[in-house]
Amino acid sequence: MNPIWIVLIVVVVIVIWFIAIYNKLVSLKNNRENAFADIDVQLKQRHDLIPQLVATVKGYAKQEESVLTQVTQARNRAMSAGTVNDKIAAEVALSGAMSQFSMQMEAYPDLKSNQNFMQLQNEMSDIENKLAAVRRFFNSTTKELNTAVQKFPSNIIAGMFKFGQEPYFDLGVVQREELDKAPTIEF
Amino acid sequence: MPTYKGLQGQISSNNFKSTLLLIGFPAVIIIAVWAVMFFANGGIWDPYIQRDFLTVLPIVVAAIGVWFVIAFLFHSKMIQFAVKSKPLERKENMRVYNLVENLCMSVGMKMPKIYVMESQALNAFASGMNEKTFAVTLTRGIMEKLDDAELEGVIAHELAHIRNKDVRLLIISIIFVGILGFIVQIAFRSILWGGAGRSRGGKKQDGRLMLIILLVSALAYLLTILFRFALSRKREFMADAGAVEMTKRPDALASALRKISGKSTVDDVSSDDVKSMFIENNPTENGMAASGLSGIFATHPPIEKRIAFLEQV
Repeated sequence: MNPIWIVLIVVVVIVIWFIAIYNKLVSLKNNRENAFADIDVQLKQRHDLIPQLVATVKGYAKQEESVLTQVTQARNRAMSAGTVNDKIAAEVALSGAMSQFSMQMEAYPDLKSNQNFMQLQNEMSDIENKLAAVRRFFNSTTKELNTAVQKFPSNIIAGMFKFGQEPYFDLGVVQREELDKAPTIEF
Repeated sequence: MPTYKGLQGQISSNNFKSTLLLIGFPAVIIIAVWAVMFFANGGIWDPYIQRDFLTVLPIVVAAIGVWFVIAFLFHSKMIQFAVKSKPLERKENMRVYNLVENLCMSVGMKMPKIYVMESQALNAFASGMNEKTFAVTLTRGIMEKLDDAELEGVIAHELAHIRNKDVRLLIISIIFVGILGFIVQIAFRSILWGGAGRSRGGKKQDGRLMLIILLVSALAYLLTILFRFALSRKREFMADAGAVEMTKRPDALASALRKISGKSTVDDVSSDDVKSMFIENNPTENGMAASGLSGIFATHPPIEKRIAFLEQV
């Protein structure tokens, strides 16, 4: 066989392999963004709920004005954030403000007898649970992308096309302990 | 020693088995029809029998196809009818609905339907062929007697069956085994009732036909055993492992299994097919005699082994 043919075949194989890795990186990146869409649904609901919660609380806890404005401001910043990574940063700040808010409200036992407040609280905790669930999915897609970006040989192509490591959506609060690897089965 | 292959490995293995069943089953039936005709003709293959075979063939294939399509379209209704389950709405039981929804969200899967069986027994199963029909069915007892973490483990186990494509493989095999059982029954009945009437070939012919049909039904029986093997009991360990991967709480699932153990028999459900789908199915508990064969025919590994596995995680 003509050596030119051999060279040509090798080149074609390399090109196909190159394309496959590139496409894999693109789909991993898209998976991460799709997972964020699920998060966005929950975030939007949380944003809608916050003004109601603040309005309910206002009558009871006038002296807590600073916490309330903090929450409201954090909410507004979170709503105006554009990119996925900006949103993550803003939401982390909002979650911090929210947990401080909940803590301050502990001091007002009257609130506990307010049905409206309790219902809003329940809805909020439901949203927080769902947020935790979608965040886990988002983080697992992020981990997949980051692993591909770091691992050889896909890291070469990732470097060429500017696929970088992406941040996780962590709130820094108590989380479920992660198992590093899948459990092994023995028979 | 088989080790945990990971989700993707289990999915492709199950997809392969499903395809194998879908192709293999009609082939086996066609071969069986051929064998019956060949031996009924005295072991001679002549143009007459070939013509008969070619006329019968499309009818057999069409019958299997029609049965399969009907089963495919209505299996979820049939299962629902067999176990007398009702769909569970969100507003009716927020706790259970949220557990399912949150687990699905955490792995990015589409949420299956949820059904309730009105039984105080502790059991659950997953069913369905595709995203539209995937469902998780829980007994009233299991919803009431397990706490959130335990119930989450059980639901995650069922979702793992769905994600692993175990349920699809199981339903396909149940449909085929059902067809086989039906054919064997028809064959036996036609010998019992019709045999005396058509004494064209005399007693000798009837005896031979009986033997042939017995042979074919033995083959069919062998096949159901093979099906059982194909659906290895390893899938229960796989689903347990998959559940732990989702919830990160092996202790909660172990404690759920401990509670379920001994209280899993749903009195209303007599179908072996449905029983093989349950999270726990213990034949001795169901009053079946414990024989040496029960190990081979058991659909689930002993619950103690599963708990031991979860505790070593």
